[in-house]
Amino acid sequence: MNHAIQIENLCFSYGTKQALFDVNMDIPANEVTALIGPSGCGKSTLLRCINRINDRIPAARVTSGAVKIHGIDVMRRDIDLLQLRRHVGMVFQKYNPFAKSIFENVAYSSRIAGIKDKSVLADTVEKSLRDAALWDDVKDRLHESAFGLSGGQQQRLCIARAIANQPEILLMDEPCAALDPLATLKIEELIQDLKKKFTIVIVTHNMAQASRCSDKTAFMYLGKLIEFDDTMSIFSNPKEKQTEQYISGSFG
Amino acid sequence: MPKNSTPTAPSAFSRKGFSFDRIFKYFFASNAGLTIVILLLIIGFLLKEGLGFFPGYQRELQIYRITGMEYIDISRKNLTSHEQLTSVMNRAYFAEINGLADRELQRSTESSALISHIDDFTASARDQYFETIEDANPAPALIESAKQKYAALLPLAMKDLPLTPHLSAGERQQIIDAMLARPIDNEDTPELVNQLATEYATVRAKFATPLEPMRAAIDEFEALGADLSTSVSDMSSSVQVIKEELNTADIIERDRKTLIAAAESAKTPEERARLMAEAQTAISTVPDTATPLKELLSGREDGQEMHRSMHEKITDWSGKASIALTQPEAQRLYQVVEKTLPVYLNELAATPKALAAWDAEKPVKLGTAISSFLTGKNWITGGEWQDFYGILPLFVGSLMIAIVALILAVPAGIGAAIYTNQFASEREQKIIKPVIEFIQAIPSVVLGFIGIFVLGNALRELSTSPSLSWFPGFPMDERLNIFTAGCLLALMSIPTIFSLAEDAINNVPGAYSEASEALGASKLQTTFRVVVPAAFSGILAAVLLGFGRVIGETMVVLLVAGNRIKIPDFSAGIGAFFQPAHTMTGIIAQELGEVPLGSVHYRALFVVGILLFTIVLGINALAHRFTRNMKH
Amino acid sequence: MISEETLIRKSGKEGKRGKVFDRLVRSAFAGITYAIVLVALLLFGKIVKDGAPTLFTSEAPFINVSFLLDKNETLHVFDDAQGVRHKLPASKYAEFIKQNGEDSIYNHHSFSYSGGGIVGPIVGTLLLTVGSILLALFFGVSAAIYLSEYAKESPFIHAVRLAILNLAGVPSIVFGLFGFSVFVLAVPVITADPSSRSLLTIPLFFGDYVMSFQGWNSSLMAGCATLACMILPVIITASEESLKAVPQGFRDASLALGATRWQTIRRCVLPYSMPGILTSSLLAITRVAGETAPIMFTAAVAAKDDLPWEGADGPLDVLSSQVQALPYHIYTLAARIPNSEYTQQAQYGSVFVFLLLVAILSISSMVLRAKMRAKLKW
Repeated sequence: MNHAIQIENLCFSYGTKQALFDVNMDIPANEVTALIGPSGCGKSTLLRCINRINDRIPAARVTSGAVKIHGIDVMRRDIDLLQLRRHVGMVFQKYNPFAKSIFENVAYSSRIAGIKDKSVLADTVEKSLRDAALWDDVKDRLHESAFGLSGGQQQRLCIARAIANQPEILLMDEPCAALDPLATLKIEELIQDLKKKFTIVIVTHNMAQASRCSDKTAFMYLGKLIEFDDTMSIFSNPKEKQTEQYISGSFG
Repeated sequence: MPKNSTPTAPSAFSRKGFSFDRIFKYFFASNAGLTIVILLLIIGFLLKEGLGFFPGYQRELQIYRITGMEYIDISRKNLTSHEQLTSVMNRAYFAEINGLADRELQRSTESSALISHIDDFTASARDQYFETIEDANPAPALIESAKQKYAALLPLAMKDLPLTPHLSAGERQQIIDAMLARPIDNEDTPELVNQLATEYATVRAKFATPLEPMRAAIDEFEALGADLSTSVSDMSSSVQVIKEELNTADIIERDRKTLIAAAESAKTPEERARLMAEAQTAISTVPDTATPLKELLSGREDGQEMHRSMHEKITDWSGKASIALTQPEAQRLYQVVEKTLPVYLNELAATPKALAAWDAEKPVKLGTAISSFLTGKNWITGGEWQDFYGILPLFVGSLMIAIVALILAVPAGIGAAIYTNQFASEREQKIIKPVIEFIQAIPSVVLGFIGIFVLGNALRELSTSPSLSWFPGFPMDERLNIFTAGCLLALMSIPTIFSLAEDAINNVPGAYSEASEALGASKLQTTFRVVVPAAFSGILAAVLLGFGRVIGETMVVLLVAGNRIKIPDFSAGIGAFFQPAHTMTGIIAQELGEVPLGSVHYRALFVVGILLFTIVLGINALAHRFTRNMKH
Repeated sequence: MISEETLIRKSGKEGKRGKVFDRLVRSAFAGITYAIVLVALLLFGKIVKDGAPTLFTSEAPFINVSFLLDKNETLHVFDDAQGVRHKLPASKYAEFIKQNGEDSIYNHHSFSYSGGGIVGPIVGTLLLTVGSILLALFFGVSAAIYLSEYAKESPFIHAVRLAILNLAGVPSIVFGLFGFSVFVLAVPVITADPSSRSLLTIPLFFGDYVMSFQGWNSSLMAGCATLACMILPVIITASEESLKAVPQGFRDASLALGATRWQTIRRCVLPYSMPGILTSSLLAITRVAGETAPIMFTAAVAAKDDLPWEGADGPLDVLSSQVQALPYHIYTLAARIPNSEYTQQAQYGSVFVFLLLVAILSISSMVLRAKMRAKLKW
């Protein structure tokens, strides 16, 4: 099995408060891996370590361990962060398109990479929007403001924006939390399409979603990885007691 | 033991409490309404005092026309142009001579400056000496003390002697020695200084000789305007008398109306009768304007002929005069002459027709007064001839100063806002923000003070440095000018622009920068491609509010802009920004204290106030529309 | 493609170039920002350098008290019989002449406003500031209370907010025109002897007294009223903010216990918003003390021999008298007198004292604001 991401003995702290305790996980390529668990269990923190977006928070740091993407430890000091993030895309809980046109939003990552050729940009934008199942909705209003779209469309726009650069890995932090059920469904369908091209790691509060969408599921609690297995196994036959309790709704 | 709590009947107190509450509510509401009242009062009183300006100005322009003053001014305009041309030609002439004789001029000037410096220093001692010996019984003690003082001052005078780069060290020392050796009662100039002066005079004469034709040409040109000058002054003196009479008649008429109104509201019949009698005596005779006007216009044909002949003669003159100048300053001045002469000739050519077309009967409409105010190029008051109230020089002055201020303040303020919000550390922010806030607290009069005593001189000196002489408008003639005022106003408006722009940038949701960084953008890219564009409407509002603040500022421009009521000369290009100007705010501050209440001038200032009020409020309204956009 | 090549930071030229550009841009912006800071400090420094010698002396009590407490007088500069140069304010000059006679004066020059001290302007500014702030606080806090505690959306509230916004933007010279035409020339006075230019006289029922709309003339009253109108929007906005910062929970709890609106405001809201209101008043004071245009025609006069209370019979007299004011004094010194070395001391000294006053006020307000923010953490 080709492992896209290998998390080895990862410990993470916000200042003096430790948030991740010795997490070990091998995330396979071209599959959807879901991270589930109650609030505060560290799933978002873990996700955000993969593209090191936690670096924005002043007191946050990895205290030990490694996060290896295709064998390279991204915690190394000589990692080019900008390049890392171009290869690892992220979609956030609350959709956050820029205050620009739809076209400019998707073209953004190409522009910051230095691409100025209009036809190249147009091609990239079209491809990304098609991959995000948004092209038909917006092809006639590419240069209108992104805020004119509905919530679900805006989130798909953010997905298009994130995949425009063809990253290998796509991180999704509760992408449907702010959306209604219909929009959620559309995104879940999209994820099944996207996994053909990308490795997807999705954090979700919604267990049903995890069971619907993902191939593998990891259950975390209080900063520790409790169980990590095929989704089917986790939901029908959990090995750990805590996993079973969480899945059956005893807490969370 | 728990008390029995029986429900009490609604007491008088609770009813009172309720009505007290109502009273308070209405009290507070009325205070809130006070703001509306104040705003309405401002608008109302500005209009009350200001609107009366237009009928008043209309009447003044009417008098201007029916007395024939307007007619005379047609010729006067040409006279002014003629005199100005003569003056520029003279300046070119002297610039040429002084340019050629520059070395000798410098040597003579520097030597004089040297001895003046020493003389000024010892002035108090020498004055005392001469005052004392003029006395009938001069006190020897005083004479002695004067001499001692002189002896003490002389070496001190040697300290900050002006530089004399054009004198040799030996010559300089010679002069200094001569001055040091001079006793207190000797007022003779040292020989070398006299010699240098003579040298200069000789060289001047030498260079004046080949320029004789130029001198003659200039004199000839000046003479060509002599007839016009006589004609204009003759016409003017007779007309001014009529104007006085008309004004007096207006005043008497107004008083009569007041007396009649007072009579009608008189308390007793006796008083009524008395007032009516007074009113009767106040009936004035309307002065006869027709006859003097006819006399004035009888010279119309002569005037036309004079202008035609002037046009012919000057055209001839310009054909003959060929002047070759070598000095750059002289050449520049002569270029001005070459540019303005054809314009002048055209005006002369058009004058006969203008004189013919002038009609005293043509009515002066209210609209004319309004358009004269809004588009008039002259604001001339308190003169002997005619007052003109044209807002254009003041408006242009305000605008140009605002432009300079914004060009400096907008990049600075926005740049600082971007840096402080996006790049600066917390420690830096703690220093930067209070300092910039402190600038805002500095009173404008203090900034004006700094402008006069510090900035004005500094900038002027900077402009005289030879390395910058290529810059249009350098060296500056005046240290108090548009640019100096603009610099200070820039400083004043930077805190406004800074804090509003910083607010706008701060209000951009953090999610944008997070998304941008997650896409692999650097901090710089995130800031300039995402954050700043998102804050655009807020930043625009900041700039507009800064602009409004600058246009409305009074004390700085009053002190530093130079107070010259004239549209700057744009032929100098950017150099126009280094000329003095006056502003709408400054003119009100300067003149309101000196005008008679209720006069046309008084009301004109209120109209300027109305204009200012409208402009600033319009800008602020626009800015607030953008701020509302920001808070989407 | 993720590989060592793509992810490891290049240490070669290409990597460096990007970094250099980054550094350059940041430095440029830092440069602009610190240039502004530098200019401000330089200006402040220049005034301190030239003005401090007037105010501070090298012996105890280290402050030139006479500059602060003496009245402003013309400076007379002359030489005496021994050739010694004297610089005396007018009062001492008169004494000198009395003692030594007229003909002991040589080379006499006089410089208006440049002698004595600045107690007149200081007192005048104090009176104007206190008066206008009291007026503005009274009316402004009341208005803010209405806006924050009682108001519901209505055309009236809309109009009030619009009025506040617009008032805040009116230029100071227009306030000068307003104050002049309203408070100096038009507001009602009760008098037995109305002036001939009165706009309207309404006879009252006792004696000869009428209410005459003739204004208060240029006076402390008119100046305070004008300045109060000018600073009103600032006070209202700041007070409303302070009131709104008090948690809604306080009000709800009080009302739920049966208190009336006013009781709630008086006991549960005002006390907690007072610190904020007073802190913003400090900023308003700074602004009012520094304004010249509104008082030029409504209260200020350049030369005055007595302090407002000297020779006055009662408070009304004080309120009706004109006053000197620091900003106006500086304007006079800067623009209306010729420059010379003898006027420098008065000029820079006055500006320095003024700036010091403003600095103290504005730093106190900043410090108080920071302290309050730290204290009121609910």
